[in-house]
Amino acid sequence: MSTLVHRRHTRRELNELVASAPQTEVTLNDDHRRSLSARFRAVAGNDHRRLDAWSVEQAGKTGHDFRWSPSTARRVLGGGALRRTRAAPTLSIGEAVSDEITDQLLRAASGYARHGSLGYWLASATVPELGLITAEALNWATQIFEIGAGLESEWQVAPSDAYYDVARARTTLRGRRDLMIEGPEHRVIIRVRAGLPGKSAGPGLRSDLTIDTLAHPSGLAPSRFIGVWPEAGVILGVDATMADLRSGARDLVRTAVAQQRFRAFPFGKQIR
Amino acid sequence: MTTLTDAAPRFVVDALRGERASRPAVDTTSAPGLRSILEDGVFDVMGAARPEAPIVIRASSLRQLAPSTDISLSPHGRVRGILVNQVLRLLSVGTSVNNPFDDALKAWRLESGTNELLAYVDQLNGDELARLETDVTAHSITLIRSLGPVPSRWLPRSSVRAVQQLSGGAVVLRDVIDLMVGTTVGDVASVALFDVTTSPLSESSERTMRYHALVQTLRTGIVPLRTTTFSTATGEMWSLDVDSELLMRSAREVLATLEREWTAP
Repeated sequence: MSTLVHRRHTRRELNELVASAPQTEVTLNDDHRRSLSARFRAVAGNDHRRLDAWSVEQAGKTGHDFRWSPSTARRVLGGGALRRTRAAPTLSIGEAVSDEITDQLLRAASGYARHGSLGYWLASATVPELGLITAEALNWATQIFEIGAGLESEWQVAPSDAYYDVARARTTLRGRRDLMIEGPEHRVIIRVRAGLPGKSAGPGLRSDLTIDTLAHPSGLAPSRFIGVWPEAGVILGVDATMADLRSGARDLVRTAVAQQRFRAFPFGKQIR
Repeated sequence: MTTLTDAAPRFVVDALRGERASRPAVDTTSAPGLRSILEDGVFDVMGAARPEAPIVIRASSLRQLAPSTDISLSPHGRVRGILVNQVLRLLSVGTSVNNPFDDALKAWRLESGTNELLAYVDQLNGDELARLETDVTAHSITLIRSLGPVPSRWLPRSSVRAVQQLSGGAVVLRDVIDLMVGTTVGDVASVALFDVTTSPLSESSERTMRYHALVQTLRTGIVPLRTTTFSTATGEMWSLDVDSELLMRSAREVLATLEREWTAP
């Protein structure tokens, strides 16, 4: 049975969800990893596949090819800026966003940014375009900061997303995470998303929980994985029970199957 | 309550947040009550019936309470509004705007890719484009001269979106706040909402100001300090301190709009 909880996004509710995270220890061991790998290997396909919560929520439908835009760059720049402000508290978020963009531009100017990278794209932007990108990144960073600043527990900005390569299955799983609360009793992860949570938000959250657990060096699951939708003022949370982890893994495998079908029949031909 | 200052502030930004000492304690208790009033009101209007598609209410829905011709809703007016808003976004992060029309158009193209209104701009002939450029430049200069520098310590966020579902998603309140400053974390109310319009201020501007405050309260659970609107047509600014009376009034206006849309043939 799923442990999905739904709350309004207020400081009190978020703190309550963090504080009441279960203290049970759930881990995924080598047998679980081997079993997952076997299931992914059973899904045909020659290409390397990359799955995340978004692809689970979209049921494997492949959208447009990735391209940089103010809304795709904001999370990278905003997250980086927030990490700077945590390391140097005298820095304002606005200054940190500017520093982050300057660093990316310097990387491009010194030839370290490869074609298609964020730095390369920023280097091609005009001054007003950079202004807009700064505004979007500032919005994102401020939003995450406000969530973090309202927490009563010690928090940190996630150093990176969680990545897990499924052995011998040509599959990489990417789990999104924005804030982490790591205490002696529990580990809680917070992920922030724009817009409204859809009907598949729960499976998406469970997938992120599973990926985060797989990416943990000893397979230790976070006690609770919380999704925040600030625009909608909604919080969803899922606990690390073995049932939820299994459900997350199943959704990821199903998404790989669906992706394979879309690739084989891109014009919607049904498999009978 | 309308805020009146002894002396006219030099910049709009100066009047946005006022003196820290005079700010009230943060109100975290009004939001659940407002939501209940809205939920009950939606049930009174719609009963158990459900629309096929959600009824979406925006600030512009409230503007049209009385039937009238609003030139700001023409393609020219909408493009002008969007471009002036882009100028505000650039100014809020300290980007210098040398050529308002070109700068805003570049920013808008990057943000939205292709859309109907950009296609409208692209098909304008030389005279029409020059007229639009002059119009946008005039409005932008009023904004640039009046706004003043926005301190980065105030956590400025521009084009802040909010979407609130009522009655299980049958009614959706959508809103975009042009500029928001201040933090929701703290013991005193400090969030100021700022809206820029290219139309002269009118009764409908007040409804819009109240609507911004209502949706922001529902979204964060915290009542903002102030809601402000600035007209680039007249250089006039109105500012209202947010209190429960203002929020209740906005809730009634939302329900009146819903009733109108629900009963419309």
